[in-house]
Amino acid sequence: MTGLPLAGFLALSAVLLGIGIFGILTRRNFILLLIAIEVAMNSAILNFVVFGAYWGGVPGYGIEGQSVAVVLIGLAATEVAVGLAIVLALNRLRGSINVAEATVLKL
Amino acid sequence: MILEVLAFFVLAITAAVTALAALLVRELVHTIIWVAAFFVSLAGFYFLVSAPFLGALQLGVYAGAVTILLLFGVMVTRKRIFAHEAATGLGPAPVALALLIVVVLATAASTISSSTNQVYGFTISALSTALFNQYGAWLLLLGLVMLPALAGAIYLVREGRE
Repeated sequence: MTGLPLAGFLALSAVLLGIGIFGILTRRNFILLLIAIEVAMNSAILNFVVFGAYWGGVPGYGIEGQSVAVVLIGLAATEVAVGLAIVLALNRLRGSINVAEATVLKL
Repeated sequence: MILEVLAFFVLAITAAVTALAALLVRELVHTIIWVAAFFVSLAGFYFLVSAPFLGALQLGVYAGAVTILLLFGVMVTRKRIFAHEAATGLGPAPVALALLIVVVLATAASTISSSTNQVYGFTISALSTALFNQYGAWLLLLGLVMLPALAGAIYLVREGRE
């Protein structure tokens, strides 16, 4: 399978990272913040997979990309689970999930 | 070949638009729908670069589990599920920072030369061999991270604490 340039995937990944960082900086709702983090993290995972696919012939760059991606997907899912637990605890404690109101570390 | 280029552009536009829509739409339930579409479009990319196992994993973990988890979070924390989100200003500084990151990374990406445009596909058995033989320690480490994380999540939402 040929034809697609590697730089196209990397540019798309950069755009997704930009969207994610923009969301992290501007959103005040905890769930939207989690979604923005997921978007940024997915751009990184896409980078690993694409480099693994295009540099598959280079030792150390082939199957490793997909292996890292599997581990990262697991980590991201764990992070969402912990984040939602914090959302529920914050909602119970404060009655809202605005991150600007979460001023106390103790949940 | 022309079909792959077409698929790439359709998927890229879908991914960028759905990611933006998920973060800009004012109703949280619509956000969940957009973010599900975003995850599905990324799974399309994984199938495009011949990583079918990762595509299936993306569909199962992200488009399935994470989306439902986020929807559950929305359902639990809202009094009215279709309530509007208060408008938050875009702000010039975050937009500028995001654009700067995109420009810097995109220019850096254009300088990376791929030796070929050949995509290497790996069979699922090769991936599982690498994961469980060569990089088994990573999977073990992932399990060691997941266990306390999920125990901590249960601790945070347990009954009988104020």
